Amino acid sequence: MDQRVIRVLLGKTTMDAHDRGVRYLATKLREHGMEVIFMNFFEPAEILDAATQEDVDVIGISSSVEGHLPVAREVTRGLKQNGKEDVLVMFGGVIPERDIEPMKELGVKGVFGPGSSADSIVAFVRENVRRPRVSFE
Amino acid sequence: MRESPTVEAAEKGAATSGAVPQFTPEFLAATRDLEKEWRSKFDAIAQKFGVDPKTYAKHTDSGLPLKPAYFPHDIADMPYEALSAPGQFPFTRGLYAAQYQFMPWANQPVIGYGLPEETRRRMDYLQSQGMIGYFGNAFYNLVYDLVSHEGIDPDHPSAEGRVGQCGMAVYSREDNARLFDGLDLSKMNVVHISYYENMAVLAHYLAYARRRGVPWEKLGGNSMNWYYQSAYTGMTCFPPKAGMQLAAEMIAFCTKRMPKWNTFNIFGYGMEEAGADAVQEVAFSVAAGVDYARECVAKGLRPDEFLGRFGFQISQANDFFEEICKIRALRRIWARKCHELGARDPRNMHVRIHTHTSGAVLTAQQPLNNLIRTTLHSFGAALAGVQAMEVSTYDEALAIPTEQSATMALRVQQVIQEESGITRVADPLGGSYYVEALTNQIEEAALKLYDEVEKRGRYHNCHDFVRAKIEASAVRWRDEVDAKKRIVVGVNKYVSDEIQDMEVFKVDPESERTAVERVRALRANRDHAKWEAAMAEANRVTERFKAGEVGGLVPAMVEASDADATTGEIMGVLKQHLGWRSPH
Repeated sequence: MDQRVIRVLLGKTTMDAHDRGVRYLATKLREHGMEVIFMNFFEPAEILDAATQEDVDVIGISSSVEGHLPVAREVTRGLKQNGKEDVLVMFGGVIPERDIEPMKELGVKGVFGPGSSADSIVAFVRENVRRPRVSFE
Repeated sequence: MRESPTVEAAEKGAATSGAVPQFTPEFLAATRDLEKEWRSKFDAIAQKFGVDPKTYAKHTDSGLPLKPAYFPHDIADMPYEALSAPGQFPFTRGLYAAQYQFMPWANQPVIGYGLPEETRRRMDYLQSQGMIGYFGNAFYNLVYDLVSHEGIDPDHPSAEGRVGQCGMAVYSREDNARLFDGLDLSKMNVVHISYYENMAVLAHYLAYARRRGVPWEKLGGNSMNWYYQSAYTGMTCFPPKAGMQLAAEMIAFCTKRMPKWNTFNIFGYGMEEAGADAVQEVAFSVAAGVDYARECVAKGLRPDEFLGRFGFQISQANDFFEEICKIRALRRIWARKCHELGARDPRNMHVRIHTHTSGAVLTAQQPLNNLIRTTLHSFGAALAGVQAMEVSTYDEALAIPTEQSATMALRVQQVIQEESGITRVADPLGGSYYVEALTNQIEEAALKLYDEVEKRGRYHNCHDFVRAKIEASAVRWRDEVDAKKRIVVGVNKYVSDEIQDMEVFKVDPESERTAVERVRALRANRDHAKWEAAMAEANRVTERFKAGEVGGLVPAMVEASDADATTGEIMGVLKQHLGWRSPH
């Protein structure tokens, strides 16, 4: 079988202490059989480096305090440059309604606001992950 | 310092408890009979509802078992000395003999966004709306932005989009002038809500005050020294031990030079926001506080010199009674720990509490419901007898508060304070069988967890343990919400598609550009020779601090700030020598 476990990189800027949600998500994705790497990053380039080194299928960025647009721009541009457009990018946290469309235009596939259930994110990842990998129940 | 007869007598009394029981044996026998009779009636009702009384069980939010009703015998084992009077050791019933009768709690909203001028406008506005501190003095609870928290400047590449977000864009002595010019520094209190940039923030304020001719001895306010937060949040400039030593260094300096300054803030609120339950919040707050206090003693400070300047910021969340009892238990535990640490003046055993009503339990869905939640939180904190409050705004889950939401949060406090009449009597819940029994339960559970931290080699040596406990609690909470075992109105019950029309605050993007221009102009126009000399000295002093020298760090950083060093530059020196990531 050439299928492997879905690998997810979750990140939050080191400046943002509101990491309860993303840490919870890390636990839940693991419970659903995915491999999760969580990192606090300073600059989006760190996310791109880690994503390449760890060969992840999904990048999830948590943002509770603005600054999500520049990060989304850097990450999606970097993925394109690296020929890694098949990596699924999602954002969560406090993302104002007005920013959702611009983020989707950049290539962010999913945006999950406050109160989103872990199940909905798990389902989103399974449905949208592009590379032929599995997550074990 | 005077030796307190109160504390010694209370301890002695506690040791010989049973000599003066609260209730007579005959009385207790009667109440036990009464409980049996009541219980059979309760069980009969349960059965009518199809509930098996044998398996019926309710728990507090932190998982402590509850009875459906409480009786005198539930608190019969508690010596009256553990309860005592308001203002008497161990302060279960409050810190002072007079609670709110002559001075209600202080209304202290957290303020900070955008440029210092924008924050100043909000400060002046809220003051005009009745925001007031202790003894009628001006009080400003000011939060710095995320860029500053991380110890960088606004023109750092990773600062993009974050300048003036979640706090004010203040990075220099010059920015302090923009914030405070025209205010009488000697007649006001400023809480500088800062994380790792704590040292730089104090340096800027002291350098600014000196230029204004205000002696440091006259400054009132607060430094947070929140380094221990790296146990449960992701912000990690300094490893635990270096953080603790930086805190002790600042506490030592302020103790000697700034008698009105509050030197350390024990941030239970942050723990609760990260997911801690009430028991964990108490246990870990005390564990962090005791750990840092020991470090201060190791630096040569006497407990009675510095403990009185420690303060607490505690959350008030949903479980109404548990959150009240949590505060009563915390006061008792901390008083005894301070006594153990060697404090003898009871005033130095106080848990002075600034309540921050929980933000984590507020919802983005049906946001106006949050006003109801915060009213309950605030009311509970008042019943618990706290010293000051910040009430979260109803748009907490959406953005930085608008002027309207900030005003409403202030009004919540004012309505309770002025209209409910609860300020007339101290510790109004004192003596309630339920409240006293639950206070005892929390105390017992928290001490057990505290002991576990101590066994693992003190707080700063077991961040992993603290994080694991808090994270497990956060997961449990969310799982219960998802499984609808825990109801959140508007989220998993009474859900509505109707969108409440809300104004959502947005920081002016121009502010970021201005902040960047300012810091660049500051660097270009400052006296370079002076700056270079001050930075070289800051470097040398930090090296000596790392080698164990005490007392030099704050003055060196003040000189750097005076020479127009920025927060990012000052913090760069500290990170270079003491940080655990590569300098950035």
